[in-house]
Amino acid sequence: MTTKPIISIRNLSKRFGSVAALDNVSLDIMPGEFFALLGPSGCGKSTLLRTIAGFESPTEGELLLDGTNMVKLPPNKRPVNMVFQSYAVFPHMSVAKNVAYGLQLQGTPAGDIKTRVSEALAQVHLSGYEERMPDQLSGGQRQRVALARALVKKPRVLLLDEPLSALDAKLRHAMRLELVKLQQTVGVTFIMVTHDQSEALAVADRIAVLESGRLRQVSSPAGLYLQPCDAFVADFIGSVNMFEVASVADRDGKVAVRTAEFGEMLFPADAVPAAHGVAKDLVVAIRPEKIRILLEPPADGEARARGRLGDVAFQGDSSIVEVLLESGRTISAYVHQADATRLMAAKTGADVWCSWGVSDMLVLPRIAR
Amino acid sequence: MATYRERPGPFEYSRKLSMQAIFAASAIFLYAPIIVLIVYSFNDSRRGGNVVWRGFTTDYYVKAFNNSELMIAFGNSITIAVVSTIFSVVLGALTAVALWRFRFPLKPVYEGMVALPIVIPEICMGVSLAMFFAYSGWSVPAEAPWPLNLTNITIAHITFSFPFAAMVIRTRLANFNREMEEAAKDLGATEYQVFRDILLPHMKPGLIAGGLLAFTLSLDDFVITFFTSGPNTVTFPIKVYSMVRFSVTPEINAASTVLILLTLVLTAVAMRLQSFGGSSK
Repeated sequence: MTTKPIISIRNLSKRFGSVAALDNVSLDIMPGEFFALLGPSGCGKSTLLRTIAGFESPTEGELLLDGTNMVKLPPNKRPVNMVFQSYAVFPHMSVAKNVAYGLQLQGTPAGDIKTRVSEALAQVHLSGYEERMPDQLSGGQRQRVALARALVKKPRVLLLDEPLSALDAKLRHAMRLELVKLQQTVGVTFIMVTHDQSEALAVADRIAVLESGRLRQVSSPAGLYLQPCDAFVADFIGSVNMFEVASVADRDGKVAVRTAEFGEMLFPADAVPAAHGVAKDLVVAIRPEKIRILLEPPADGEARARGRLGDVAFQGDSSIVEVLLESGRTISAYVHQADATRLMAAKTGADVWCSWGVSDMLVLPRIAR
Repeated sequence: MATYRERPGPFEYSRKLSMQAIFAASAIFLYAPIIVLIVYSFNDSRRGGNVVWRGFTTDYYVKAFNNSELMIAFGNSITIAVVSTIFSVVLGALTAVALWRFRFPLKPVYEGMVALPIVIPEICMGVSLAMFFAYSGWSVPAEAPWPLNLTNITIAHITFSFPFAAMVIRTRLANFNREMEEAAKDLGATEYQVFRDILLPHMKPGLIAGGLLAFTLSLDDFVITFFTSGPNTVTFPIKVYSMVRFSVTPEINAASTVLILLTLVLTAVAMRLQSFGGSSK
């Protein structure tokens, strides 16, 4: 990419006493991107967002916007705007006044304010609500006011702090698509914080996964899902079956990985993290949708495991089938409904075979360093 | 024909005779004396304590309004109340914001000291203030021109009413969403603009309620005023007290009725203003 990053975070750390909320985070965000900061609660994603907004000052590191360091700039001087988790719509101001507030502060002429406010409200489908008071609005509408209020200032970057977490499930799914559309229409860079991986996968162009203040991986949604950098990311994004590695050895330019469950499997050398020759630092992972479950032994040359049929959870178009392996571990697989019906004909406890291609497996370090 | 009625719950006073009786008794004890006071202000009798109704007259209102001493006392009371309310609300708001917003050494001590005037017996405060004014030499002489001669009483009133205002305003501040402040800053507001545009409108109901409280506290205060007033600085309650000692006439009833009316109107205005202040969300 030849375009310059709009936001460049360099070696950013934030410590509260002895606790590091952010630990040496470096990250580039490109103009026009829909970027998501994803991680479990307490991972530092909100701290990072609030640092960009200016509500937290970093202990160390730089925060560049369009190439200039913003660390010393107070929040009211930064060309970024934020949509708060509680929306923080001003209750004593009408919808129009809420949206106009930021423009009034920067001294925009009254005529311009009027047209820009109605433009912004049209963007979030709230035209006609100008004179309503916030307590006459639903939660979803209040969020739209918060969005319009931030976007009307034409920020360089729009920050969204868990924007969908307070909405009910149906509205949340509708708002995902709407956020993406809105972002495409206004062309502003969006940075969204979320703890919901499916939300991040659905809306973002790129996702940064954080854990305990450290950046684990930055990638496209598909990249995170298909090539997670370590066991944490693989487990956090979607579901995965993970097994410990008993030993690793070089064999004729390939790497032989042995696990208690599946015996020895040969991987191309570049599929195994080089710096992690030590078996106990490695795991093998397989996504549930890659596994087939058969009632008879599979053809040669594939990874396989023998087990007994466990619980089957009906999901509509597919079922989650659990297989109890001989080692005592359980492996779960997504099985299409037609196959699941056939499996269910066999009783729980019946002998089954799990099978998948070795290339569908991932050998991952426990923690990428 | 069997109709079943649920047994009334313990606090369902609309359906329980005992509860209704308690309710009625409370209402009577609360309002009957006031109603009697108002009714007898129109009694055409020379004695206010006279329970015999001798016909309707508004003479005593005219008489009360023509009683220059009573009117001066009334004017003094209103002046003191207005000034001490303004000071109490401003000081109370500053105290409340300081206690809510900042952490500083000895904060619990300071909090306790602010609440102290609320719990200290009024008589002790009256005596201590009287002694303070006498010994400090700071006191404004009672012969000073009006309204400066009311300074001592006003200071005393501010002292005991601003903690009430601070309490009320602080309660209001407690449910302020701090993200609102950040949102305003995010939109470009300075600290001062955040205070003016966001925090102050949020505090408004508390300021009005605190002000109203301070006003009524000052208007009807007797004990502390008694210790800090002089012969030339008589307030309404003190004047009424001295009149009652002399003789109870319907004039006092009339003057009290005017005072009740005044506080009712003020309360109504305050409540109306408060409803314009938006919801507490």
